[in-house]
Amino acid sequence: MIKTILCVEDDRFIGEMYVRSLQKAGYDVTWVVDGNDGLVAARNQNFDLIILDLMLPEQRGDQILDALRNNNVDLVPNSKILIMTNFEQDEASRKSVMSRVDGYLIKADITPRNLIDVVKQMSSDD
Amino acid sequence: MAIDPASKTLREYKQYYYRKVILVLLSASACIILGLGIALHFTAISISQLNFWIIILITAILQIIFSISIVKIIAAPLNKILAALSHKIGEPTTDTPPNPNDKRYEKTGFKTALQAIYGDYQPEQKPTSDNDDKPKIPLTQALNQASTGVVILNSNQKIIFANSAAPISRNAKGEDFLALDFLNEPSIFDWLHEISNEKIKAERRWQRISTNPDVIQKTRIFDIIVSFEKGAAAETVIFLIDKSKGYLPEEEDLNFISFAAHELRGPITVIRGYLDIINEEFSGRLQGDERQLLDRLVVSSNRLSSYIDNILNVARYDRHHLKVYLLEDTVANIYASIADDMQLRASTQHRMLNVNIPDDLPTVAADHGSIGEVIGNLIDNAIKYSFEGGSVTVSAEKKGDFVEVSVADNGIGMPANVVDNLFHKFYRSHRSREAVAGTGIGLYICKAFVESHGGSIIARSRENEGSVFSFTLPIYATVKDKLLEDGQLNNQLIRKGGGWIKNHAMYKG
Repeated sequence: MIKTILCVEDDRFIGEMYVRSLQKAGYDVTWVVDGNDGLVAARNQNFDLIILDLMLPEQRGDQILDALRNNNVDLVPNSKILIMTNFEQDEASRKSVMSRVDGYLIKADITPRNLIDVVKQMSSDD
Repeated sequence: MAIDPASKTLREYKQYYYRKVILVLLSASACIILGLGIALHFTAISISQLNFWIIILITAILQIIFSISIVKIIAAPLNKILAALSHKIGEPTTDTPPNPNDKRYEKTGFKTALQAIYGDYQPEQKPTSDNDDKPKIPLTQALNQASTGVVILNSNQKIIFANSAAPISRNAKGEDFLALDFLNEPSIFDWLHEISNEKIKAERRWQRISTNPDVIQKTRIFDIIVSFEKGAAAETVIFLIDKSKGYLPEEEDLNFISFAAHELRGPITVIRGYLDIINEEFSGRLQGDERQLLDRLVVSSNRLSSYIDNILNVARYDRHHLKVYLLEDTVANIYASIADDMQLRASTQHRMLNVNIPDDLPTVAADHGSIGEVIGNLIDNAIKYSFEGGSVTVSAEKKGDFVEVSVADNGIGMPANVVDNLFHKFYRSHRSREAVAGTGIGLYICKAFVESHGGSIIARSRENEGSVFSFTLPIYATVKDKLLEDGQLNNQLIRKGGGWIKNHAMYKG
């Protein structure tokens, strides 16, 4: 069941849009705008879902993912991770990210209502 | 050189020559028979005796056989020389041009004459004393130092030599093959197949041919020159000039596309997102034509998003990065994910959208997002090229091992010559260029997507009556084994647009 969500998104318009819609749908959302803050927040608090952008200032999303979840360690075993990006990764990097996350979406394809559907779907899987 | 249209052809010259030889031989035969007759009459047998005429008849028959043999023997080299000359100057002829590498000609020495005609005669150079002093370099070793790939094929088109720069890989049977990706162009082998029965010598060039990314990891891009000479020991010689340095900066690991995608998609995410919010939160409060105005905004932003997808997909396709992930799906399910958007696009532009996709069609192997884009592009086109108040019909039916999806309109249609060019990049009909907005890449990318699925796409159209675009997708059951073998299947994923989420429910059984 997903209740708490960490949203790591540097674009103010997009961040506000997601936060607004997710909060209206009843989720408890924490929003941070750079990679460092995202990593700190993810490590300090248990979130049910982490929505992670890839192109972020300070630390990129894939670097945060490397730190949180790699071959040796999983610092967020109880969190689901959803990549939301408009960046086009090369095949190898995308596969590497895909193998460690629960979803990988192109932001331009997903409206806030779609996002809530996706979160509900991920939530009902538990 | 100016060609005199009234000048005689080689064929006419041949006929003239034949007539002359036959006339001379017939005259000679007649003279011999006459001489023989007179001699016989006055020496041995009278003209009134039967034996006289038997001898004359036998002599005449022998004369005819002898004459035909003479004509054949003396005309044969001329025939071949003329056939070779006709081939060389490109005169239409039914004669097969003689092959200079034929063993017979090598033995008789006629090869030199043919080579001289074909223009590749090189007098044998006797080594001078200087040459004798030079160290002898093994050819293979020298070729292996070159950065240009050299591959030689025998007459069965099997690789008999490849230097180390050539992009060669080995298949499961242990046979070497050229790991190149010709995309939409005919490959070297297509070309060889086409010309090997008609031509003695031929050459063709290809530009910007990449290594096949599925086989060779590090991409290299070549300009290729292929020389073919029928019957030669090295029948086909392929030179692969490595132009990666020149071409790769443009290809540089998707960098440009990645950033362009990011920049273009950012504002689109915001526009579509906030429109979605407004749509939801204001829907009860809209008055008059406000609903229509808002719908137009939504449709336009969705279309802009589709165009951006098209541009990015073409860039990916041209750089060999377009990937499809085939899963078991139904056409109805794929359509359902774009249905609302399509309905809105049609209604805001005053077209009636009829959808007739039976639920009981077999499942297909499809990349959900890509096929959604294909259908969306076809419907967009049908709307563009039809009239206000017209209708667009989407239908699907089973055809053999495929499910065929069709999008039909009763719009302006196209003449046949336009239909042939439709699927080329940036192709737009002369008329539509003025009348209708668009990028001319929609159908190009549709074709790329459909063919990546192993299907095909066609257009049927009549001017002023409308067009039908149809594409096929393989029925899942017919390709399941192949997909499993290729590791293409990943049923644990649920596709969402260009992305996915994990289907955790699968793990719970």
